[in-house]
Amino acid sequence: MAKEIIDGQTMTRALTRITYEIIERNKGIEDLVLIGIKTRGVFVAHRIESRLKQLENINIPVAELDITPYRDDQTHEEKDISKVKTNPLDIDINDKHVILTDDVLYTGRTIRAAMDALMSAGRPKKISLAVLVDRGHRELPIRADFVGKNIPTSQKEKIKVSMKEIDGEDKIEIE
Amino acid sequence: MKRYLILEDGTVFPGEGFGSSIITTGQLVISNNRTGIEQSVTDPNTEGQILAFTIPSVGSSGINRDFYESINSQCKGVVIGSSSLSTVDNSVSFEDWIAGLKIPGIKNVDVRALSKHIAEHGEMKASIMDTHDEHAMDQIKALVLPPDLVKRVSTKQSYPNPNMGLKIVIVDLGLKYSTLRQLSYRNCNSVIVNYNSTADEIENLHPDGIIYSNGPGDPKDLPNTIKTIQILQKKYPLLGIGLGNLLIALANDCQIERLAQPHHESSLAVKEVASGKIDFVNHNHSYTLDQKYIGSSDFIVTNVCVADGSIEGIRHEYLPIMCVLFEPEAAPGPTDGYYVFDEFIDLIDSVKQQEGARSQWN
Repeated sequence: MAKEIIDGQTMTRALTRITYEIIERNKGIEDLVLIGIKTRGVFVAHRIESRLKQLENINIPVAELDITPYRDDQTHEEKDISKVKTNPLDIDINDKHVILTDDVLYTGRTIRAAMDALMSAGRPKKISLAVLVDRGHRELPIRADFVGKNIPTSQKEKIKVSMKEIDGEDKIEIE
Repeated sequence: MKRYLILEDGTVFPGEGFGSSIITTGQLVISNNRTGIEQSVTDPNTEGQILAFTIPSVGSSGINRDFYESINSQCKGVVIGSSSLSTVDNSVSFEDWIAGLKIPGIKNVDVRALSKHIAEHGEMKASIMDTHDEHAMDQIKALVLPPDLVKRVSTKQSYPNPNMGLKIVIVDLGLKYSTLRQLSYRNCNSVIVNYNSTADEIENLHPDGIIYSNGPGDPKDLPNTIKTIQILQKKYPLLGIGLGNLLIALANDCQIERLAQPHHESSLAVKEVASGKIDFVNHNHSYTLDQKYIGSSDFIVTNVCVADGSIEGIRHEYLPIMCVLFEPEAAPGPTDGYYVFDEFIDLIDSVKQQEGARSQWN
């Protein structure tokens, strides 16, 4: 049975705190670019963007990243090469500080795939990672720079993130 | 017994005395609190103040002696319209309670007219006296409000509030117990120190974070505390509440100003700038931060008052400093502001994680 472990208010607060931390650790946020990993990572990116706009009155570019072609859980035969676009982004990331956003950080394989995608699209000055939930069990040497909530889990458990934009309400459940 | 509330500008409000019969003087503060009267009267922030409650009948929600915010009452006097006995908790009436605390009070005062008068003419000194002759007027004109309000309410001796969590040092400028309650609820291992403690003394306690509490009076009367903040803010996460916020702002070359309409209300709306979230929180402050200086400083505005647009919360752009002018510990008032303590603990955790990460990679 799914159990709600984070409610909407706490999620809102976590996103606000991530925004503050992004400001704190980057003196000047002018060359920031937010890139959300589909699907919920994109909403995370947009929410951080709107907070930065309110606080600093600066428009940060936001882009969506579809990492399907870069995933490593499909064999070469399964991958449909024709679908791989040479530039998966519609914004310039050269010499920018890219903040990748996703809802859950788990094995780290998604993030590796996302970094592959970014590297093929340009040469960012720096890549940071912001996630709503870090649930542990990494299989690659990857860590997040900005974490909404650390939730220790067992590998049998599932973490389900719901966001208003697509699921109607904000919450995080474990089952 | 007939008594008089005399204002600095010569206005006289007649009424009937209750409680202690001594003559009292202090800063007159209009409080719009509906409930939590016992919390306001025992709040150390009211040191040196005469509290005038605008609620028509005080005491109707009960006087609950479990809700004290300090051991001794702090305010210099109370002004009310009328009082009534509560059916909720009728073990003690408001007037008997005030008499027991040996606070002078005056009732049957037209608090509505008084509140309008103060709104028009600004906050002023006042006195509760037995006569309203010229001599009384001379006395109140000659009155100088003491500049050492914080010294009077701050703890003389450091004391611990032990628990198993983060080590928090609280600099007591007029600490309310509800701040300690909130920290205890979050398992914080706190030490409460005198307002004049030096940076070395505080560093010796090895804090994870430092809280500058709320308190009474003019922040400019505390130059030593401001200097201590300038040293500590480079090394530790800071949370400033109320007076603590003003001191942290002054330590960073910001300026403060008096509010045209002081905030003394247990439920006033505040907007969180980043998310647009509205919280109803307790306010008890006459000063605010000067917008002009904040703009060019290293602070970002995180909270604003919805009613008058004044700044209610700031955060440093690269040091781990967060401040609120309202009272997140509530008492009295709604509990919307409790998240500020969670946010401060998150801030400490993220600083620790950063430090951990640095030592791992280097």
